Amino acid sequence: MIDAFPPAFIFLIVATLLPLIPGGSVRATIMLLVPVASFWLIWNAPTGMDAQFEFFGFTLTLMRVDKLSVIFGLIFSVAAFLSSLYAFKVHDRVQQSATLFYAGSAIGAVFAGDLISLFFFWEGTAIASVFLIWARGTEGAYHTGMRYLIVQIGSGVILIAGVGLLYQQTGSIAFDKMVLESLGTWLIFLAFGIKCAFPLLHNWLQDSYPAATVTGTVVLSAFTTKLAIYALARGFPGTEILIYIGAVMTIFPIFFAEIENDLRRVLAYSLNNQLGFMVVGIGIGTPMALNGTAAHAFAHILYKALLFMSVGAVLHRTGTSKASELGGLYKTMPLTMIFCVVGAASISAFPLFSGFVSKSLILDASATTGHWIVWLVLVFASAGVLSHSGIKIPFFTFFAHDSGKRPKEAPTHMLLAMGLTAFLCVAIGVYPAMLYSLLPFDVEYHPYTASHVISQLQLLFFALLAFGVLMRAGVYPPELRAINLDFDWTYRRLLPKIIGTVSAVASTIWAAIIGFAMRRINNIISGLYRTHGPEGPIAKVWPTGSMVLWIAMLLAATLLVSFIDLM
Amino acid sequence: MSDKKIGDDAENLPWLGRKLLWVDNPANVKRVFQVLILICIGLFFSDFIYARHGKFEFEQYWGFYGAFGFIAFCIVIFGAKALRTLIKRDEDYYAPHVVDTEEYPDSGLDKASYKDD
Repeated sequence: MIDAFPPAFIFLIVATLLPLIPGGSVRATIMLLVPVASFWLIWNAPTGMDAQFEFFGFTLTLMRVDKLSVIFGLIFSVAAFLSSLYAFKVHDRVQQSATLFYAGSAIGAVFAGDLISLFFFWEGTAIASVFLIWARGTEGAYHTGMRYLIVQIGSGVILIAGVGLLYQQTGSIAFDKMVLESLGTWLIFLAFGIKCAFPLLHNWLQDSYPAATVTGTVVLSAFTTKLAIYALARGFPGTEILIYIGAVMTIFPIFFAEIENDLRRVLAYSLNNQLGFMVVGIGIGTPMALNGTAAHAFAHILYKALLFMSVGAVLHRTGTSKASELGGLYKTMPLTMIFCVVGAASISAFPLFSGFVSKSLILDASATTGHWIVWLVLVFASAGVLSHSGIKIPFFTFFAHDSGKRPKEAPTHMLLAMGLTAFLCVAIGVYPAMLYSLLPFDVEYHPYTASHVISQLQLLFFALLAFGVLMRAGVYPPELRAINLDFDWTYRRLLPKIIGTVSAVASTIWAAIIGFAMRRINNIISGLYRTHGPEGPIAKVWPTGSMVLWIAMLLAATLLVSFIDLM
Repeated sequence: MSDKKIGDDAENLPWLGRKLLWVDNPANVKRVFQVLILICIGLFFSDFIYARHGKFEFEQYWGFYGAFGFIAFCIVIFGAKALRTLIKRDEDYYAPHVVDTEEYPDSGLDKASYKDD
């Protein structure tokens, strides 16, 4: 008897049956009910290992219920609900089913107690999510989806290879804390790192999220990368290298985000930067740091979804999400603007908004453990977050220069989704105890001390002042219709170019060698033909008379030998 | 300019949009900037009136966070500007394998503008 029914099954079953149901609104309503049921199941699930069954001699565990899996399961259910509400008018069966498959796989992976079921759900998220990119229906989206799929499936293949090696070594498929000491665990770490968009493995994120549909990007932003955060927190807490990987992740995307024109790609860079904070928390690995990671993932899913929703609403109404084409929209989309500002304030960690109460746990943990350089990097990155997500997104969309566009306010269901998400962002910020009670460890933490509030306000307001000064001085980088190269240039341009050059050189050399050899052989053949051919000098000694003479000579020799023998 | 008219007449605009029209006036933007300066001055001097609890010694310096925020922001902006000179390319650099040069298909949108009315 199963006490904890896997919520993933509800998603997967409904996703399979959903396309058969006529009526887009009916399907959209069902999509709202599934996450509610999932939330209820997770909330009431008893702690422990459940839903276990045998599979080719392995015991698979589909419900490992503890505080770490529950907090991720709950926020994934909330995200599935909010994004389904945002997409209420999207009646495309493919997107609807894909969304449920995707969210269900992510929740399934979170509760997976062993590495084999983790692998199945891991690949499930990859396959389902690509349809949210392809649903855009353009050539560019098709190619972007293929690149995305190659990376995501690649991550899964590396994962199962690592699991195989680990099983060979330890005889266990349990998904518990691992140590980076064998090829198997390194491969698993790499698989998690790809999905988590580690530096140099990150470009799939910035490439694909701006290519998805308006609603698809909101869905995408919640699950894949936070699943990777969960997997790292479960598998590699306290792994020191993660501190430095995370610190790099918080820094470099800031610079790219600042000069990126497509606001959905700005948000993708910003997402990458926020993941960095969580990865640092996992690397530190103390209870407070891991709490920080879980809390930040929870808060982040909400405010990041909110930001993607608001930019999505603008795209939905104007047909573009490029900063160079936007501006002045506050006049006709004031509610969307306010929700966007709430998201921006939350990600920038202004007091009374969600980012403030979650990020400070990680910063505090890094300071407590004496990582002062990392701490400085994180504070620097916090000012950087303000620059691109706090200021750039709302300012260039809704204010700045007037684009002349007068789009109507976002449709009601989108406003509802944004309003609800914005409410949660503020609620967490104002009343953090609610979020703190869900965290994996019991830690006493008070974010609202005078010292903490004032120092954070100083950091943010002086950064705002810098923005004002640079803006008025006219040195703030203008929004331009252009793209920026990133590391993906190496495999999208450099590598094909190297391969092209190498193959050209190799074929030239090959042709030269073959040509040389052919010439030599031809020379030998024609040389032989010249001497031994019908016209050649050797042909002159061919008369049959000489042959008869030689046979007579041999006969004479034979007779002579026989004669001597007889004597 | 019919676009401008909508903004100026403010009849078609949502209530909230009408209430915010003051931000279009450069004099008001200047005022916002002045308020920001005042807030920053206030925040700087607040360092003297409460007991600060930093984990590190350097956190205890007056104005540490303010200076850090200001300088960090400038580094980000100038760093990004320098980066742009190296990595900026035309929008169609990777075309047609990317969405950057494509229009978002209208079938997936619900474009609506006050100009349509």
